[in-house]
Amino acid sequence: MNQTAKTYKDIILNTLGTFGGSNSRQLAGAVGADRNVPPPSATELPYGGTYIPEVLLPSLQEIAAAFDHFKFDEGFLADFADTLRTFSGRPTAFTPLPRLSAEFGGAQIFLKNEGLNHTGAHKITHCIGQILLAQRLGKQRIIAETGAGQHGYATAAVCARFGLDCTVYMGKKDYERQRPNVYWMELLGTKVVAVKEGSQTLNDAVIAAFKDWVANPDSYYLLGSAVGPHPYPAMNTFFQKVVGEEIRQQCIETTGRLPDYCVACVGGGSNAMGMFFDFLDEEQVQLVGVEAGGHGTQPGEHAAKLRDGKRGIFEGYHSYFLQDGDGNIAATHSVSAGLDYCGVSPILAYLADEGRVKFETANDEAALSAVKKLAQTEGIIPALESAHAFAYAFELAAGLTKDKIVVVNASGRGEKDLFITMRHFQEENLKAYAQHLLQHQK
Amino acid sequence: MVNQRSKLPLMAHLVLGYPTLAESLRTAAQYIVAGVEILELQIPFSHPTADGPVITAACQEATRLGVSVSDCIEAIRGLHAQFPEQEIMVMSYLNRIYTFGFQEFVTEMKTIGVRHLIIPDLPVDSRAAEDLRDLTISKKSGLSNLNLVPVLAANTPDPRVEKLLAMGFDFFYLMSDFKITGSGFSLHPRLKAIIQKIRAHPSTNLPAVALTKEGHHSTNHPRIGIGFGISTPEQALKVVEDADVAIIGSALIQAQNAGKLTEYLESLRQAFNNQQFETKH
Repeated sequence: MNQTAKTYKDIILNTLGTFGGSNSRQLAGAVGADRNVPPPSATELPYGGTYIPEVLLPSLQEIAAAFDHFKFDEGFLADFADTLRTFSGRPTAFTPLPRLSAEFGGAQIFLKNEGLNHTGAHKITHCIGQILLAQRLGKQRIIAETGAGQHGYATAAVCARFGLDCTVYMGKKDYERQRPNVYWMELLGTKVVAVKEGSQTLNDAVIAAFKDWVANPDSYYLLGSAVGPHPYPAMNTFFQKVVGEEIRQQCIETTGRLPDYCVACVGGGSNAMGMFFDFLDEEQVQLVGVEAGGHGTQPGEHAAKLRDGKRGIFEGYHSYFLQDGDGNIAATHSVSAGLDYCGVSPILAYLADEGRVKFETANDEAALSAVKKLAQTEGIIPALESAHAFAYAFELAAGLTKDKIVVVNASGRGEKDLFITMRHFQEENLKAYAQHLLQHQK
Repeated sequence: MVNQRSKLPLMAHLVLGYPTLAESLRTAAQYIVAGVEILELQIPFSHPTADGPVITAACQEATRLGVSVSDCIEAIRGLHAQFPEQEIMVMSYLNRIYTFGFQEFVTEMKTIGVRHLIIPDLPVDSRAAEDLRDLTISKKSGLSNLNLVPVLAANTPDPRVEKLLAMGFDFFYLMSDFKITGSGFSLHPRLKAIIQKIRAHPSTNLPAVALTKEGHHSTNHPRIGIGFGISTPEQALKVVEDADVAIIGSALIQAQNAGKLTEYLESLRQAFNNQQFETKH
């Protein structure tokens, strides 16, 4: 058992999604049960790959080569650790939730407060890693996509900090619903482009960013999740794994042992991979990813890729995607912009197939309720994305014995959701405030 | 000698199913009758990651109408039956072929007699593409080969151009510059060097059949098409100074949307005819 488990980290960082990608027999085998192809071996993964236009190949190969070099470079790693500490404020707090734990009467719940990072979420961690890489490659211009705006905000901050030009693509729907983050990005000197194509969410922002990159292959595309072509899934996992490493140390210091459960929300999968990676080889630590259940189970009403998605190849990688039966990508919905995405990390697709990570869903209402519960019982306002993890974790903890330890990743803080949560909880106050602003303007 | 071209040195692109499947087939017939050398038929995809706004909108409209991969295959079969001599290139993003089944899709293409398959999000030397290439070579008599088409750009390094040349592709699609489809026209200065490299390559393993074309180079070299951002007849003429065909997509859709497709095709035909007149003297 231990020998099998031992390979997870190796596989993910060293084998997953190399440039060859999967061969078509593996792909064909992955599509339907009627095609009787044996499952791929552990070293020949069916997920990941580099399915991109030829024009982007030199840029991706350059980034992959730089990552392969610098991930072993002591100077680079010291610079990374130092910037995480001095610019982002790592390590982030590991907080017991005694009142909630008592109220549910089950497991002891702990919160990893990634929202305490500079710019308010875990996203800045891979942004710092990638900007240090871009700097070493001599890049002058950065492109990024963003959903909730957290990755865009973090990218804008590191670009300002390192003096690089920055353009962020954001679906128009997200641009409207995450307006505070748009403002912060612009204040930091970033150009924010509202993407009007398609469903006007994260998916469309990714495509717009890729199109910019095709037109400007000398720019650096700072992709913001554990998705996309190689090396992004492995690279962002590598930078984010510090989250799990901190949890390990903090949990042992606080409780004397490892957690029984680690729970994280899953959009693309960067915060989940950050939390899970360090525990992959210890099977006593159960890993749970929580996807957006939205407001229904019909196509277009949710973003539960690992529940309802089919294997596909899109945006450069092979994984599970929400799509119709004929290969067209489906619309998604979530109250949280950061989870409102059609695909999922190829690494999580692999870990789901392996059964190493279990997947659950929490719907819009449950996430909103979890925001309020956590705020009023423990004094912490999580991002709507992270609230999905709490919604599930509360149920989970209630059914466990008191000796169990559940750690939940608060991947971001909830200030950015002001206008969404306020509309939900205090619509009258929101209207009054909007009227006040308009009158004041006159 | 009068250079009598039977074909216009153009690859004319359309999105199957836009604005409707029937209308796209009528458009295809119009291209063929106008004499385009290659007809490029794009299978619509909900999220065409490498296309500009015009082709993206056409794809989204066609997918909204529910045009399936099977619908497209039947449409291509019908066109080929009607115009058996017309050289056809099929273009599709990978996910639609993957979902349909690589083997099934390739078999359909070969059975129909489609000559070229272009998959913009699949590097032609990736493992998946290598296996796909195995499928494209016909062992059964009576079926033609299907050729994958590499898309090169000005930043494709020399060793990679050489590697792809050595793989024996019979057609290279060159991006005019760093841009998406339907952008303004420009030709990247490095294209000339890439073209020279392709022209200089001795491709003895290429079939001479159907590659014969007067006014252009010897027959056994891979052909070259240049696309992205070509809209006027003058730009098309400029492109075929170096390439075998100019590839036009967004501009044709725009002409069609404006109800001026016949006039636009006529302007292209006249430009090429006039050029032949000039070169005679």
